[in-house]
Amino acid sequence: MGDRSGALLPRARAPRGFSLASLVALVALVLVVALIPQVIKKPLILHMWIMVFLAVAQGAAWNLIGGYAGQYSVGHAAYFGMGAYTTMLLLEQHQIAPWFGLGLSVLNAVLLSTIIGSITFRLRGPYFVLASIAVAEILRLGALHFKDYTRGAEGILLSGIPPLETPWFAIRFVGKVPFYYASLLLAGGVVLANWIVQRTKLGYYFQAIREDQDAAHSLGINLTLHKNVALALSAAFTAATGALFALYVRFIDPNIVLGIDVSVQAVLICIIGGIGTIPGPVVGSIVLVLLSETLRNPKWLAQLGIVGYDSAPVAFIEAHFSNAHMLIYGILVVLVIEYAPDGILGLSRTAWNRWRRARRPEAPSQPSAA
Amino acid sequence: MTVFLQSTLSGILVGGVYALIGVGLTMIFGVMRVINFAHGDLLMVGMYLTWGLFTWLGLDPYVSLLITAPAMVVFGALLQKVFINRVLNALPQNQILLTIGLGLIMSNGMMLVFTSDYRILTTSYSSSSFMLGGISVSQPLLYSFLVTVLITVALFLFLQRTDTGQAIRATAQDREAAQLMGINVTRMSVLAFGLGTALAGTAGALLAPTYYIFPQVGGPFTLKAFVVVVLGGMGSVVGATLGGVLIGLTESLAAVYVASGLKELVVYVAFLLVLLFKPSGLLGKSRM
Repeated sequence: MGDRSGALLPRARAPRGFSLASLVALVALVLVVALIPQVIKKPLILHMWIMVFLAVAQGAAWNLIGGYAGQYSVGHAAYFGMGAYTTMLLLEQHQIAPWFGLGLSVLNAVLLSTIIGSITFRLRGPYFVLASIAVAEILRLGALHFKDYTRGAEGILLSGIPPLETPWFAIRFVGKVPFYYASLLLAGGVVLANWIVQRTKLGYYFQAIREDQDAAHSLGINLTLHKNVALALSAAFTAATGALFALYVRFIDPNIVLGIDVSVQAVLICIIGGIGTIPGPVVGSIVLVLLSETLRNPKWLAQLGIVGYDSAPVAFIEAHFSNAHMLIYGILVVLVIEYAPDGILGLSRTAWNRWRRARRPEAPSQPSAA
Repeated sequence: MTVFLQSTLSGILVGGVYALIGVGLTMIFGVMRVINFAHGDLLMVGMYLTWGLFTWLGLDPYVSLLITAPAMVVFGALLQKVFINRVLNALPQNQILLTIGLGLIMSNGMMLVFTSDYRILTTSYSSSSFMLGGISVSQPLLYSFLVTVLITVALFLFLQRTDTGQAIRATAQDREAAQLMGINVTRMSVLAFGLGTALAGTAGALLAPTYYIFPQVGGPFTLKAFVVVVLGGMGSVVGATLGGVLIGLTESLAAVYVASGLKELVVYVAFLLVLLFKPSGLLGKSRM
């Protein structure tokens, strides 16, 4: 990754050091977020947070393969659905507790990713994108058809989750709070994985592949191996997200967890926030989930006390947008690609720099003069 | 044997429409190197246009093609000028995402206007058929196929014989060289996207009498269009035509001999196999 790539792609700049101040800020942020359910009891607001955390986990998991390794998979629904179906089927048909199911989900997804990877990584660019979509569609159509195993379009309804009992503590999966912490933990874990990938040798390999496959190859990086490692990591986290989503929503069918919307959402979260960055998927998730959930169910604005239950905005959104929340995804992605290819994060960074420069006109604009 | 002949015939007839979709996609790719993920949604717009003209003005779908096709040219040219043209030099992934976004806007915008209800367009001949030596031939499918053949031949002649057609092919072969020869490549891109859109819209119009019409109808067609195009070889019009017929046949035979719920799955598996063993497609070398 020389100067050349840095000039071409502003996001490819070398990661800066992680100062003590930002670490303290991060810990404080995590504490505040962790305390939210103790203060706010409204289920709809907790629901919104859970959806944000799940989106963060989904987006950050995609970021590993799409953002860092540069392989735009538009078929991550395959892993999401694999996780959801493995956990739900084990629980409903074999009474295997979801925490074991989650482990098996991850294992299954890693196996699946290795198979898919060894097939599709021989392809590049648009062909890889198309192959990834085709694989996810094959799984969706298969899940719809083989009703004996998956119950087809009828879907799987969760009857209940057994309590998690250990010698030290017991967790009963009732209400929103356990899911709040579970999804927060998962989202945190995936973001941490992004952070580790960004600053280890493995991550540098991924990024070298993203910037120039042939150059990376000529430097001795094993392309197939590292793309497969990136995909396996990404698939594992995506499957865990799918499993948790299924347990939380308590109902899955092939279109919900294996549909192309799931794959597209994972990509959009990263694109809108800022692809190949750590905060990108977080920012993207907050924006996307808040917008789409507001359009789907504007009543939550009323719960927050922003507007009245029967106010004009709520009525308007309910009448016109409740079925078309994906419209906002479309508009956002078009705007981002056309005007801010580095996402909201890149846009705000540019704006911040411009503001700083405007505030201190005497400061040299060339860093070499400093 | 009758079953085999019957499904072969209907496969070829449906394949004609797939060919039309694929030719549109391959033209856009050939000239601009942009993979249009909104292709199925353009088809959906064509379907609704046909449905609207039929429902409100009582125009027969085959007559209203004369309105639908030019309208879709204008729509496509507009899309190209406003959105696609700005990202021609961007990363291919970003182009793909842009067209995905445009597709989402089209399908969800349509849902806002017409709700997600299924519409049907029933003509007097929608469910009638000819008998041909023990094989029944669906009338609307046959008409669609004939129109498809007509359009494909006309398009082929246009690309081969006219100056504009040659300019489009030259742009597809080498953008810079074409520009050096004095070809207005920006105009050719607009034209190619317009034509590609019109072909998708026409396919939608031809499918309208036999298909459910709803905002999300496009998605599977987008993917199928890719299968058709990759099978034939990206950028090859003749290849896309061949690919369309082959995919139609595969689907139709798979529905009978494997399971009707698995016909698309078989197509996608075949697609992966093509990608693996012959990624350049059947006629990959030749370009338009």
